[in-house]
Amino acid sequence: MIVNPIAGMGGSVGLKGTDGDMYKEALRLGAKPVTPKKTEEFLSFVTHKNEIMFFVAPGKMGEEYIKKYSFKYVVVGRIYGETSSEDTKRIAKEMVEKNIELLVFVGGDGTARDIYDVIDSSLPVIGVPGGVKIFSPVFSVSARAAARVLDAFIEGVEYKEEEVLDIDEDAFRSGRLAARIYGYLLVPDVRELLQGAKEASNVSKSSEEEKREIAEYIVENMDEDVLYLLGPGTTLKKIADRIGVSKTLLGIDAVFNYKLVGRDLNESGILNLLNKYGKSKIIVTPIGGNGFIFGRGNKQFTPKVLRKVGKENVIVVGTKDKINGLDYLRVDTGDLELDRLFCGYINVIVGYREEVVMKIKC
Amino acid sequence: MPYPPPRKIVKAAERGLGNINKYITSEECEPLFELLSKYSKVDRDHLFLGPGSDIIIREVINAFSRGRNLITEYPSIPPRSRYMHGYRVKLIKIRLNPPDFNLDPELLVDIADKSLVVIGNPNNPTGKDIISRRALKLILENTDALVIIDEAYYEFSGVTYADLVEKYPNLIIVRTLDKAFGLAGLRIGYAIGGETFRHALQSLHFTLSRPSIYAAIEAIENLNYMKKNVGIILKERERMRKALEELGIKTYLSKTNFFLIKTEIYDLVDRLRKRGVIVLDLSSIWIRGFIRISVGTPEENNFFLAAIKNVLEEHD
Repeated sequence: MIVNPIAGMGGSVGLKGTDGDMYKEALRLGAKPVTPKKTEEFLSFVTHKNEIMFFVAPGKMGEEYIKKYSFKYVVVGRIYGETSSEDTKRIAKEMVEKNIELLVFVGGDGTARDIYDVIDSSLPVIGVPGGVKIFSPVFSVSARAAARVLDAFIEGVEYKEEEVLDIDEDAFRSGRLAARIYGYLLVPDVRELLQGAKEASNVSKSSEEEKREIAEYIVENMDEDVLYLLGPGTTLKKIADRIGVSKTLLGIDAVFNYKLVGRDLNESGILNLLNKYGKSKIIVTPIGGNGFIFGRGNKQFTPKVLRKVGKENVIVVGTKDKINGLDYLRVDTGDLELDRLFCGYINVIVGYREEVVMKIKC
Repeated sequence: MPYPPPRKIVKAAERGLGNINKYITSEECEPLFELLSKYSKVDRDHLFLGPGSDIIIREVINAFSRGRNLITEYPSIPPRSRYMHGYRVKLIKIRLNPPDFNLDPELLVDIADKSLVVIGNPNNPTGKDIISRRALKLILENTDALVIIDEAYYEFSGVTYADLVEKYPNLIIVRTLDKAFGLAGLRIGYAIGGETFRHALQSLHFTLSRPSIYAAIEAIENLNYMKKNVGIILKERERMRKALEELGIKTYLSKTNFFLIKTEIYDLVDRLRKRGVIVLDLSSIWIRGFIRISVGTPEENNFFLAAIKNVLEEHD
């Protein structure tokens, strides 16, 4: 377990995060730490106490809280005075070297990115929400829910990949939410306890099964002599796997007659391909917990690209748990008139021959 | 239905066990057809019987799914996806959203052509009428869709489109004696539809058991018990809603024997379960925070209200 002692401090004093030097500003404004309470709440609700050996970061990054409970624990790493994201990364690396099976972190999106930088999706994590910016779906809905996720992990669950989002803090401070996918972390698949995550309908399928079904259906219905632009995301990657091509997880890749013809494309690259191949379709998935199909994490799909492809050639895919967490879909292309064209209904492919008609809200 | 049927209906079912070594005959079913015709105010020829409304729906899908998509609302309980297993149909689910949970008739007209449309009206789990008479006629008149309206909760809502069957051959209404009549264990459903559906459903009544038919005849001949129970349920429903609103919990209007609440307490369902109360958590299939509450007996409802009050006090 690693606790970010400064995450969340900006919230109470009206700052929208504690990245960089904003932490000092938060202190100056009288902010108090938030993560201690969240950490203790998390630890107090874990029921399988005797079955866990905790490796904790020292002092206020973990040890200070765990010693109040009856868990077995070992302290890993050292800290000196004020801590930073470098301490989070360094200690996380040391913990991984000790062959831990799961990493619990307490913090916000920034902490999630630090953890991702070290472990990628090499082992599962549990995110205890304790920051100001908690938009990433990797987080549990609450500290108490995170405890339930840990219990479920002990009892045995499958895993799935969830997005780690990078929120532009300057934009956030000026009231805009500008997010991109930073990466994916592996989380226990206890869907109702994860932020923006839901379980499937009557048939309990894992996320991976659902993605495979979607991929099967998409590939089965792919047209010949049509350029397919695949957006970022793990479901899109599954589609690429099914076709038999390698795909960038965070970029836009292009496929024509089941062959990769473009990788990690920018606007200019996409436009060149559109000119070359003519008829085209875009396949995207809603980003994170906020339902954006354009404008978040796939800005390479510029208004120029979208107008050339046309709304009728946009295919939206998404697992049921992702769709169930959304009231509506959204677009923010940067072109208001284009956004209005997208508003209305769209079919989202959620399984093999299964679609949900959702509203795109402007 | 929390109340069992009267003794005379149970006795009628027992009489049906008399000659269970013999198949049911059309003559034995005919009194039930006549009674349902009178009850539903439709021609006897428009009636079909089956072992539960979901089996009737499945038979219609089986007969008419070739070359058609299946369109339905979402969420729906039971999930319509179960009807499509084994059939090569595409399932298109139209998401219901708060606060109205209505189906957009223009959207349906746009997408419903040459489809099988199955709509629960009222819808389970929202408890709302989600398609108006006007919207239904729009679809029936402007598309080549076959429309199945599931009126399982007709006795609670009082809303029916059965009279439209005479005019619209592409419409079928499906009902059940499971809910308001309290005969869920006997599995008796019936449908009101035109010639279009005759071939698919005309022999389905032979799948009913004799005890079920005898009990159903007795139930339709003695409607007072059903009306009394429905009256109690509707009154209790509103009492519960009012009590929950006074506790600060958002509830939604309903036309059935259940209703929706919305809560920010993410583990309310768990905490109620620990107090001996089972409710349906829709967070796992629809939108987080929505829970369906079924109306029980007054004693059960008081137990539930005390439990939820206890949870709220603990939460504070």
